Amino acid sequence: MADLSQLLINGLAIGSVYALAAIGFVIVYSATGVVNFAAGQFVMFGTFAGVAMLINARLPWPSGYGAALAAMALFGALFFFVVYLPLRKSPIVTIIVATVAVGITMQNVALLTFGSWPFRLPSPVEGWTVTIAGTVVPAHFVAVIVVTAVMVGLLWLLFYRTPVGIGMRAVAQDIQAARLMGLKVNRLLALSWILAALLAGVAGLMLGPIWFADVNMGDPIALKAFAATIIGGFGSLPGAIVGGMFVGLSEVLGASYVSSAYKDLISFGIMIGFLLVRPQGVFGERIQDRG
Amino acid sequence: MRVPFLITAVIVSAGVLLSLVLPDYHLRLLNLSVVSAIALIGLNFAFGYAGLISLGHAAFVGMGAYGLAILTTRMGWSPWRAMLVATTATAAFAGLIGLPLLRLKGHYLALATLGLNVSFYIVAANWIDLTGGTNGISRIPELTIAGRAIAGERPFLWFGLAVLAAITIVAFMIHTSRYGRAMIAVRDDETAAAMSGIDVTMTKIAAFVLSAVCAAIAGCLFACHVRFVAPEDFSYAHSITYLAMLIVGGESTIVGAILGAAVLTFLPEWLRFLGSAYLAFFGLMMLAILVFLPSGIAGLGRYLPRLRSPTRAAPASVSAKELGP
Repeated sequence: MADLSQLLINGLAIGSVYALAAIGFVIVYSATGVVNFAAGQFVMFGTFAGVAMLINARLPWPSGYGAALAAMALFGALFFFVVYLPLRKSPIVTIIVATVAVGITMQNVALLTFGSWPFRLPSPVEGWTVTIAGTVVPAHFVAVIVVTAVMVGLLWLLFYRTPVGIGMRAVAQDIQAARLMGLKVNRLLALSWILAALLAGVAGLMLGPIWFADVNMGDPIALKAFAATIIGGFGSLPGAIVGGMFVGLSEVLGASYVSSAYKDLISFGIMIGFLLVRPQGVFGERIQDRG
Repeated sequence: MRVPFLITAVIVSAGVLLSLVLPDYHLRLLNLSVVSAIALIGLNFAFGYAGLISLGHAAFVGMGAYGLAILTTRMGWSPWRAMLVATTATAAFAGLIGLPLLRLKGHYLALATLGLNVSFYIVAANWIDLTGGTNGISRIPELTIAGRAIAGERPFLWFGLAVLAAITIVAFMIHTSRYGRAMIAVRDDETAAAMSGIDVTMTKIAAFVLSAVCAAIAGCLFACHVRFVAPEDFSYAHSITYLAMLIVGGESTIVGAILGAAVLTFLPEWLRFLGSAYLAFFGLMMLAILVFLPSGIAGLGRYLPRLRSPTRAAPASVSAKELGP
């Protein structure tokens, strides 16, 4: 029983990271229609922004985290100008391949800068433990779950209680109408990319102490975020959260109860199953055929 | 029909000429481009003609390669017989999986095929009894013709070019047939295609199966050429490379598929002076091609007639006069 609750907390912590990556992916997808295959590399950049600020520049964690997130926000804006703006009218495949191409560049820039040796990114609550229902778990896992919950709360406030967030939702719903209503569409689109990069940054900073900071960590995260998005429902924020938690739990529980070699097959099998039976996922957009 | 034969002849003779002058290492790259080109002609059916975004093409290449490797090394079959069975099995699998999968469109299909490729990789890397796991399968026998093995880079290149030429001609014939036109119609407007009596589902599945057949043949050639298969060669990154090759070469043209395969296979060689920064540069270059050259290298051909139009217009008017009374 103690084992199970430990596994559940592990799964929820990993799931939180996947959920944040998936939320960033979904925000970009619903605002811009871009399926961002570099989403995993965004998270990797987040982790390495942490490495650069906390380990290389030796900043204390509050200012280090702040500097890392500021760097991520800048990167999101750069991505908007360099990748999204030139390709915004291109067919979906071109954009998919373009984001993959940028992902390759990101991965190799990180490789050239930091080398292939993995880093251990420390956690602000390094070494602390928490006892929950008789189980001892690292405080970092609990912190990850709490931070994710706070982030989701803040996102809700942003999207439903602030003019900027409501504007972003308007752009996601109908870009033409939003422009006609006098919204600064390009500024809001850029903000969507910045927000996605920030969420990926938070996910990366929280993932660093769980996994090792490794320049090849992007692809597995992207695949998990895709699976989470499909299972939860493409374009749906609650779906991304539920999907992320589901993928995290299935990974951790599958590894200990079924097979550690085939643990990833469970989430991808379920993803393909969802695509075949219920492609709109648990909460997703309706898929319609138009002539 | 004359143009396709001409193009095929140009490609084959260019390949044969290169085979006489290039050193062995470049011949190896050329062989890999030929194998990729065969796989790409397949992907061109699915993506270029029928508009199906497949991010799982490497899985079909892998099924062909692993099928041949397992049948030859475990059961002692001849590579030819193994190639036939592996290709048929891959085609059957594509048909079966395509039936439910091809109802999906756009990025849903892309992610589903991506999931297929990732699943293939996980199975190939972990089903150690059958696939040898990450160690792969080595000592795959060479292909033989009339008792002589197709060994060494040069003979293999000639054989590969012959296969590529045959597949190119068949692909051109399909392209100009009503089946090819049906695929393009389905890509351009599914509803209109269905209204004009085209069986959309069957057309998509046919394109998908054709793409898997070419992929499996490419996989078998790859296995017989390298004589070693491992899961790494068929990861989803390779599927994306295939798609990139097709887009760089020029979307939905057979010539573009061949050009793209050759250019992206040799690019690492040409960019060797960049050293370890090569891949970082490669990504940026891909992005630049997508932004500035959206119709690929084959798309450059579109500008040629425009540049030549005055010279071409002149003979046309002459012949019009000659035809006159």
